[in-house]
Amino acid sequence: MREFVYEVFARKDRGEPLTHIGYVDALDDETARVYAWKTYDEQNWFEMCVVRRSAIVPVNRTDGPFAANRRGTP
Amino acid sequence: MSATLMVDALDVPTRAALRRLVITLADSKRLMGIRYSDWLLGAPTIETGIAASSMAQDEWGHARLLYAMLKDFGEDPVAVEHERPDEDYASVDPLDAQFPDWAAVVAGMVVVDGALSVALEGFAGGRFEPARTRVPKMLAEEEFHRSLAVAWYRRLSQASEEARSLLRAATQSMLPPLLTWLGAADEAAERMVAEGVTRPGAELVAAFRTAVGPLLSEAQVDVDAFEPAGEWDPRRGRGPGHPDGEALERARGDRNRMLFVE
Repeated sequence: MREFVYEVFARKDRGEPLTHIGYVDALDDETARVYAWKTYDEQNWFEMCVVRRSAIVPVNRTDGPFAANRRGTP
Repeated sequence: MSATLMVDALDVPTRAALRRLVITLADSKRLMGIRYSDWLLGAPTIETGIAASSMAQDEWGHARLLYAMLKDFGEDPVAVEHERPDEDYASVDPLDAQFPDWAAVVAGMVVVDGALSVALEGFAGGRFEPARTRVPKMLAEEEFHRSLAVAWYRRLSQASEEARSLLRAATQSMLPPLLTWLGAADEAAERMVAEGVTRPGAELVAAFRTAVGPLLSEAQVDVDAFEPAGEWDPRRGRGPGHPDGEALERARGDRNRMLFVE
């Protein structure tokens, strides 16, 4: 079954910025939600979000994990 | 009938009926956790194994909260958790043996955990104050179990015919005993309804069919085609068997008894 990489972001308090805390491999958005919440549960997070890595648009780098998105790779 | 129910004010048969309800829910949660834990190392991906581990912890936490309700009966929950014989366990029948494959785990997430949640919703809406205050948090945690269950069930339903066939067979084998358990209408169950502790079995079954029906149909399983079936042990409120000995050794902590310090 095809899986996707999802980047995981979270913040501990309402006023804090979202911080990148890791990633999960998941079948879809729903499993990504669960995997992220269950994997990165060492903190009492105020908010957690996931975003599919392929949806991230790199701004200033031509290398790194997100650069492939500019070349059309999922 | 909205006043809080006081255990000490109950007559003996009603008190026994409430105890039976607490025990069957607690034991089912305990065994659900055991069955998730069986798959910590065998799940399809690392992330799924971590989720199974976390869900096992959730279920054991829920079981602990439910066993603790026995304090209202003047009982020591630790003794109930760790010292009962196999024949006294009252968990739902589909948890008696390890799930044989991942498709069965997924079916169990949907229909067994789903049936437990419906039963807990009924309990949370009743007059027993410990259930009213403690069960909603359990149901909130179950939302993540439900999300994972739906995603995997849907995914396997759309996968190979072999996967779909395994999923369908597991689902079909679990439904009749679960419908029997959820829809129980024996004397003890009727007492719980009469006292406003939970909803009638027929209503719980209807809620369960509504909750899981559309998803099961994606694997060509018609939940409305299934009826309660199987023998019934009114003492425990489940079928006549019990979970396998190895699972109960783990549930009780038999192997580490000499280290038990609680």
